[in-house]
Amino acid sequence: MATLPASPEAYFAPTSLDAALQLLRGGAATLLAGGTDLMPQTHAGRVRFAPTLVNLRHVPELAGIAVADGELRIGALVTVTELMQSEAVRRHAPVLVDAGDHFASGQLRNAATIGGNVCNASPAGDLLVPLLVLDARVELASMREGTRAVRTVPLREFFTGPGHTVRRPDEVLVAMSMPLPPDGFVARFCKFGTRPALDISAVAIGLGAVRRERVLSNVRVAFGAVAPTPARAPRTEAALEGRTLDAATIAAAADTARDEIRPITDVRASEWYRRELIHNLTKRVLDDVATA
Amino acid sequence: MSPLREIVFTINGAPRRASVPLDMTALALIRDVLGFTGTKYGCGEGECGSCTILVDGASVNACLMFAVDCDGRDLTTIEGMAVTPLGERLRDAFVAHGAVQCGFCTPGIVMQAASLLAHDPHPTREAIVRGIEGNLCRCTGYVKIVDAIAAAAVGEP
Amino acid sequence: MATVIEKRSLIGQKIAKLDAPDKASGRTRYLHDLDLPGQLHAKILRSSRVHARIINIDTSRARALPGVHAVLTAADVPYQRPLGIVAKDHLPLKTDKVRSLRDEIAAVAADTVEIAEQALALIDVEYEDLPIVADVHTALALGAPAVHANHPDNVTTTWDYAQGDVAHGEAESDVVIEDTFRLHYVTHCCMGVSGIIADFDALGNLTLWSNTQVPFLHKREFAQLLDIDPARIRIIQPPIGGGFGSKLDIYPFEPIAIFLAKATRRPVKLVFTREEEFIASPTRQPVVLTLRSGAKKDGTLTFRSVETLHDNGAYTSWGASTPFVMMQTVSSLYRVPHCKYHTTVVYTNNPYAGSFRGYGNLQGTFAVESHMDRLAETLGIDPLEFRLKNAQRPGETTPQGLHFRTCGLQECLRTAAERSDYQRRHREYAARQADPSPVKRGVGIASMLHVGGGAKIYPSDGCGTILKIDDFAQVTLMTGASEIGQGSETVLAQLVCEELGLPLTSVKVVNNDTDITPWDVGVHASRTTFIAGNSAIGAARKAKAKIFAAAEKVTGVAAGELDLRAGQIVEAQSGRVLMALDKLVRSLHFSDKAELVMTTHYYEPPSKHQDKAFKGDVSAAYAWATQVVEVEVDTDTGIVRTLKVTAAHDVGRVLNRLGIEGQIEGGIVMGQGYATTEELIVDRGVIRNPAFRDYKLVTAPEVPEIDIHFIETMDGEGPQGAKGVGEAPAICMAAATANAIYNATGVRIRELPFTPEKVYRALHAPRPPASDAAGTAMQAPA
Repeated sequence: MATLPASPEAYFAPTSLDAALQLLRGGAATLLAGGTDLMPQTHAGRVRFAPTLVNLRHVPELAGIAVADGELRIGALVTVTELMQSEAVRRHAPVLVDAGDHFASGQLRNAATIGGNVCNASPAGDLLVPLLVLDARVELASMREGTRAVRTVPLREFFTGPGHTVRRPDEVLVAMSMPLPPDGFVARFCKFGTRPALDISAVAIGLGAVRRERVLSNVRVAFGAVAPTPARAPRTEAALEGRTLDAATIAAAADTARDEIRPITDVRASEWYRRELIHNLTKRVLDDVATA
Repeated sequence: MSPLREIVFTINGAPRRASVPLDMTALALIRDVLGFTGTKYGCGEGECGSCTILVDGASVNACLMFAVDCDGRDLTTIEGMAVTPLGERLRDAFVAHGAVQCGFCTPGIVMQAASLLAHDPHPTREAIVRGIEGNLCRCTGYVKIVDAIAAAAVGEP
Repeated sequence: MATVIEKRSLIGQKIAKLDAPDKASGRTRYLHDLDLPGQLHAKILRSSRVHARIINIDTSRARALPGVHAVLTAADVPYQRPLGIVAKDHLPLKTDKVRSLRDEIAAVAADTVEIAEQALALIDVEYEDLPIVADVHTALALGAPAVHANHPDNVTTTWDYAQGDVAHGEAESDVVIEDTFRLHYVTHCCMGVSGIIADFDALGNLTLWSNTQVPFLHKREFAQLLDIDPARIRIIQPPIGGGFGSKLDIYPFEPIAIFLAKATRRPVKLVFTREEEFIASPTRQPVVLTLRSGAKKDGTLTFRSVETLHDNGAYTSWGASTPFVMMQTVSSLYRVPHCKYHTTVVYTNNPYAGSFRGYGNLQGTFAVESHMDRLAETLGIDPLEFRLKNAQRPGETTPQGLHFRTCGLQECLRTAAERSDYQRRHREYAARQADPSPVKRGVGIASMLHVGGGAKIYPSDGCGTILKIDDFAQVTLMTGASEIGQGSETVLAQLVCEELGLPLTSVKVVNNDTDITPWDVGVHASRTTFIAGNSAIGAARKAKAKIFAAAEKVTGVAAGELDLRAGQIVEAQSGRVLMALDKLVRSLHFSDKAELVMTTHYYEPPSKHQDKAFKGDVSAAYAWATQVVEVEVDTDTGIVRTLKVTAAHDVGRVLNRLGIEGQIEGGIVMGQGYATTEELIVDRGVIRNPAFRDYKLVTAPEVPEIDIHFIETMDGEGPQGAKGVGEAPAICMAAATANAIYNATGVRIRELPFTPEKVYRALHAPRPPASDAAGTAMQAPA
């Protein structure tokens, strides 16, 4: 069985973003938000605590959901439950509510945060797929020479591998922001599973596009659990961009999707089966959009 | 050994303080430090719901929560829930509808049901079924558990 | 105060479980919740190799860790003996080699669980790897490494049964089919993990807090294992967090905890983690089963011939004896004149199988009932009519000697079929297979036969009761039968209250202390309601006789004309109240000839030990059921949703309606899990999914609509006519589901579980699909 985890040596619960960033300047900190991934990972020895444990839950700058200047901004500490209950999210990004409905369980939705989910960078992260479809951006903050430095990274460039992101050790994910979808935008989230939730996806599909009559433009396609990270599928997007959503287009897009992904065989599913699922379910999602 | 951190919180309506290791779970705090054994260890990974408690009114898996994160928060375990009107209604409904067999999952399900009914006092059967999707039971097949929660919702035993 | 009381019966009512209020309040203290003053916490170091020689174990660093009180290896317990009720091939702490990944190498007792875990990490073990015997075929191949030196061919044991002459049966058949079925590893997943507390007192008497389902057998086993006088062992059973057959054998962690208690002279508590529970618990017996069966064109069954390979894993437990039950299904589920059964049980380096609700019958029924549908289809006979034609009737005795005093099979078949609209749907769904929609529906039917009144495999299959009625007409019922969450305690109280005319609040059941309760063989074979029930009724009737004899003197009304109702002694005919029961009991011991109302009764069921050829009426009664399962198969994904289960169960008589419905619903969902969601993935001796994340129990949203019908055949021997039901509802779910998937898709799958990828491959795999007549089993993904 796994070796024993190291315990943290110091604990802080800062009450401002600057105080939190100051703590991270040394670099050796483990961040705690909802803890729903951190606790099992450290107890199982898959992740080792850094010497300092920083609890972000009392940092007000990380909370809240706001719509301003054509953007929807979701604070890092927003829980999945809060996301699903937010008027702004329900109106402007209902696909996030769909994805939240497939997330684990009520207990986990109450604790798991958006920031934690994005930073955890699971290849099968359910919320990550619709966030990619919504062209979300990651806002990161750090303390540089006594002042707060902020940078923004598009989510599609944020993941570098399973559990790995471009976030530096001294950075905190502050919020996810995304443009409000344009008129005529339709979005779908499809998670393969035998249960509505409490399932780690074998595959997940996100689709977003502007639909005028049966022509799709501004197409975003994202897949989860079929590559080292959740990712956009540019070839599948190209197969749909500007096209009429007829049987031939749908079939071609489904075939492209099957070829574009890089799934593995693991205890949950084989590579072959994941390709079959992506093909069949992409077709099903597109059929649904075509006839809706 | 991890250093200890002093925390101050409310549990089942009563203020408490405790000194906890930094990597201790809220479940271990509740069971081993505070002696409330009604909350159960089922898996330690948030997959079974046996350890469900309320924190500031929301249901969470105590096994996933850091004990230090209980600082300043309001915890409710099954022992506290059981002596409230909602808890008694749920208890009576679980008893009357045969929703308890070995009973090991029962505290976690009662807590989750309490949370569900507090936020949605008139849930559909579908909402109840979805509401307990994070709680595993090996004995009952869930049918009578859902019956019991539905009965408690309308104030029947 | 009423002067006339009507007769009211509790039988068939909804009786609330006696321990439910405390359980729903979080007040019940399970084993995990108990702590003894001064106790130490124990942890076990398990092998990190599947098959290896142990070259050296260095515990010096572990012993030196502050807070550690003992570190034991086999060298420290030279007195240890092999354990196991079925065969004794299993030493608690391993000596020269490890044979599976769960093997126990060392054990630590420390002040806290954390220190014990740290100590484990400080134990250094040097191994020399041996080639892994990963499956039965490898084990049986020439030159295979021997898992146990005394079984050089890796054959643990074999089982054989025959009735009639299968060659003759085959010759008589108009249709003969053969298939190989593969039944997989699943595990109990009790919500309460395994554990034990062991404590020696100052005189060396041992007390165990254990969730055993067989306390008296374990008392005897532990005595032999530890070379202690059994009189010095006491087993106390705290409330259990689920059993399902998992606690019918002794496992190494139990004597290990006792060794630690002995070495440290402190109480020792050992509790598994959930991961350990997956890795180190017994499983259900995996089976490769080849069934050849035949029938005549008039629909009469002619023969069944079965060969199975049982993967026995590294050590022997109850799984090796599942053929005892499987042969009953093969010989007696429907009327078959000729039958041959053979099992080879084979050692490998895999996890070993124990006893699990249904005990081989799920596996056997899967094969038999898949064939019933195939035979019917090949003969062109409706599958329901085919089954009815071969269904036994009350009064029949099978060639194996099972005597069906009551037999509700025909009613079960008809009821389940009618209430589910089986025949019409079956035709309609078959016709719809060719429809363009990828989502298909199907219905499947299957029946089951299981023991319902014990199974006489020990010298006695009985149960003892001591019953006391006190001055306040409060009853204490001391029964040997354990409560494992199934409601036995409540049903025994109900039966006693029925006899004594008392409310349920008047009875306390004591059932969890071997120092107090009389002998019972244990909770298995769906025997507890039947046997413990009859035992309790016997004691209650003796008490009643004593009460009436005394009441006759006091009231002047003849004993034969008295009754007990609502705590009063009444005239049976009119209900006229004569005197209060509590007053009578007080008068008994406040009189010159002082006496108490205390009675005992030992009930031995009238079943027989089977002979060496496995023939004989092994149970006092038999349970029957038919289930119709309706599924939806999404052929684009392979997902099988169980939509509805219509179950007709011959239970003899419904005693506690709430309890029996709960058992049936729970068993159906357990069977659903076995069929469609659960799979312990064992890969060259390694369990790949030892967590709920990837071992999928059925969750609330997946539960089908369940429609239960009781067939009450009023068994003459059963308590109030009842028969056992604990295992029945799980047994034929997989078979009915297989038949339903075939109805939906035209594809017969002979391998469990019906998880999406497996089903998808069966429907779409690139190689040409095996024709059903060829009966080829599916292969693993390329």
